[in-house]
Amino acid sequence: MTRSAIRPKWVLMLLAIALVAAACGDDDAETTTTAAAAGTTTVTTAGDDGDTATTAAPATTAAAAEPMVLVAAQGSEPDTLDPHLTSAYASFQVLENVYDTLVQPGDDLSMEPALAESWTISADNLTWTFVLRQGVKFHNGREFVADDVVFSFERIIAEGLNGWRFGSVESVTAVDDYTVDVTLTVPSPNLLVSVAGFKGMAIVAKETVEDGTIATNPVGTGPFRFVSQSPDGGIVLEANSDFWRAGEGLPILDGIRFVQIPDAGTKLTALRTGEVDWIDAVPPQDVDGLSSEAGITVGRVPGGDYHYFALNQNRPPFNDVRVRRAIATAINRTEIAEAAQFGAATANQTAIPASNGSWHLDYAPYQSADIAGAQALLDDAGVADLSIDFLVTSDFPETVTQAQVIAAQLAPLGITVNIVDVDFGTWLDMEGNGEFDAFMLSWIGNIDPDDFYYAQHHTGEWANFQGYSNPDVDALLDAARVETDSAARKALYDQAAAMIVDDASYIYLYNPDNINAWSDAVGGYATRGDNAIRFVGTFLQP
Amino acid sequence: MSQFLTKRILQMLVALLGVSIVVFALIHLVPGDPVRVALGTRFDQDLYDMLRERSGLDRPFIEQYFAWLGNALTGDLGLSFRNSQPVTSLVLERLPATITLAFAALFVAIVVALPAGIISAVRSGKPLDYAVSAASQVGISMPDFWAGVMYILLFALTLRWLPSSGYVSFLESPIEWLRHLVLPAITIGLISGSVITRFVRSAVLEALNQDYVRTARAKGLSEWRIIRRHVLPNAWIPIVTVVGLQLGFLMGGLVVVEVIFAWPGLGRLALTAVKDRDFTLLQGAVLYIAFMFLTINLIVDLIYVRLDPRVRVS
Repeated sequence: MTRSAIRPKWVLMLLAIALVAAACGDDDAETTTTAAAAGTTTVTTAGDDGDTATTAAPATTAAAAEPMVLVAAQGSEPDTLDPHLTSAYASFQVLENVYDTLVQPGDDLSMEPALAESWTISADNLTWTFVLRQGVKFHNGREFVADDVVFSFERIIAEGLNGWRFGSVESVTAVDDYTVDVTLTVPSPNLLVSVAGFKGMAIVAKETVEDGTIATNPVGTGPFRFVSQSPDGGIVLEANSDFWRAGEGLPILDGIRFVQIPDAGTKLTALRTGEVDWIDAVPPQDVDGLSSEAGITVGRVPGGDYHYFALNQNRPPFNDVRVRRAIATAINRTEIAEAAQFGAATANQTAIPASNGSWHLDYAPYQSADIAGAQALLDDAGVADLSIDFLVTSDFPETVTQAQVIAAQLAPLGITVNIVDVDFGTWLDMEGNGEFDAFMLSWIGNIDPDDFYYAQHHTGEWANFQGYSNPDVDALLDAARVETDSAARKALYDQAAAMIVDDASYIYLYNPDNINAWSDAVGGYATRGDNAIRFVGTFLQP
Repeated sequence: MSQFLTKRILQMLVALLGVSIVVFALIHLVPGDPVRVALGTRFDQDLYDMLRERSGLDRPFIEQYFAWLGNALTGDLGLSFRNSQPVTSLVLERLPATITLAFAALFVAIVVALPAGIISAVRSGKPLDYAVSAASQVGISMPDFWAGVMYILLFALTLRWLPSSGYVSFLESPIEWLRHLVLPAITIGLISGSVITRFVRSAVLEALNQDYVRTARAKGLSEWRIIRRHVLPNAWIPIVTVVGLQLGFLMGGLVVVEVIFAWPGLGRLALTAVKDRDFTLLQGAVLYIAFMFLTINLIVDLIYVRLDPRVRVS
């Protein structure tokens, strides 16, 4: 009995000591906070005073000695840092700043030089010759040469998730250290977008693939060098002083730290309190409030992503185009976009948004919320008491919201919508097995019209889960694929797009805005139409 | 004693084996194919077949299980399907944050629950007892996702006393470590503490009604001395039991709180593994969680023996 009586005493004493320790710690913490806040205020004032003197001024303040490190908050965690094997947007946010591609989408999404300084196309349109930039170094100090392009492309073709982008490529060969030939089986006017549209097509260093470090320690040629990744420190990058644009003073930042904050509310708070400088996405319902807040800038650009749903044409009555048209005209796209994106989106009856100037088609044949017209089409098809199993996933919560709105909009027609809400893993299974009357999702990151239409609407293609087949559309898409004249190509795609919309292969809904937000201290950053996160020209004002 | 220990450790190993079989079976029964998830919407049959073969997912279920078990016995839990990192190191690198939060939350819980439960029992039926009961009812009913968000809005956004999220290693900065720890620890600690308070109250109340307490009172001992020397030693076993259960639960990672506070613990790792259908990672994480739970149970049993020698006999 005596022994057991001692233990509680001992425990209580330990608790008391710990309590005192915690109390002291708390005091320290508060002092630090106050001091830090005061420090920030002073520095800001000094910065404001010296603003006109620009770069010369900070040298006189103590703050200039501090490395200029941007803290960027991501909503999800990168799965792997191997650009050829990841499909996670969080990974690409980091890798965008570590790797380069042969060419890259510019601010207007037209392709501009990157690792390749220039390129020429042979007379038969079957050989593209790329002239590489000389003197570019990987982050490990080795010079970048043509063999790296060949190695990277062959790796993507052999095992990457993006091998399909090389569908028309016959071979990639190094002519000399600074020249690469890409030979094709058919003319491919969209080759640049295919092989360099995003960082999934990055040029990697062979040695990092061979020793297996590429997944955890990416070595590229980009503006920032990978330093470390840990659960507490996030992903740390530092400026690459040997960057091939160092002559232009790029990059400006000394480093970037990517932290992962999965909860959207916490992420916003962290931006408001100054714990982070930049956040990757803003919940649409917060955009208006945040835009009017002092000290925060919201970047908002019409994006190239599109939201849609499709009816299963392998199942009656959805194989009847009248039924599909009835549904396409009964819905109200503006209302759907308002409910799902709080207005941070543009309703669209086709796929390609107006911001993609080269390929946009202004075509909207369907009346909005035309219940009478829809009823007439259904009567004509002899369909009544229709019931739709609508496949959505709460991993993309907007699909659930949209399905609910659509259910309400179709109710006046006597259509019952059964919302089947599953997790994304299950969703992909069910989509692949054709277990749906309708499914809904979005396509992201497309630039070239071939990416918008071919795999989704060509007969028998892999993404044509809805079972659409129209020989005229197939012929147009096949012809447009190899048409090298831009105007002629655009005309072919316009015809195909109009047919796809008329046949309601997909029922297109809207293009959402791309939205980032950052503190006013951040300069030289802009939200992009392709959602690439580029910090190469970004800086922090004191 | 050593016989008791050997028996318990053997029981624990059998339980772990059972857990591994159940988890392996459940994971494979859940719809959703990891290769399909990895490929996303870009599906390609050849690539799909290649990835399945590479990860061994094309082999029969039983064969997969025994291959995994064989490796697991040598301490190798396999490679994560998504990023080819060893599962063991992915789990281990999450441990410091998980253990820190678990013990900090338990600390908050005990600091709240012990005095509250004792006072409540001593003042049983009085206004103070009702006040404690009401407060613990509130604590139990308050969802962690709501409480956490409220604390962030108040202490991080409005008052700016504490950071809203993240984790800093103790070795890097003890002060920052503590500042980042306070809000998540309080969020869970108050909920856990509310549960423990009720057990403390009923355990103390029961001991207070024993004859030896009446005898002690008759001897004229002070109330505090009675509680310290006669009541608490006898109330200790149920309290240790519930504290042990709470700790086991905390060590498994706390998905909701870890998400709200961006805390890099096991809960978030397991959540990501479920979403990605990263079978090997999920299997490893669950096995670890079961191991922690069983180990803590074992420790609790050993503490029983110390507290009350009668346990050893039975």
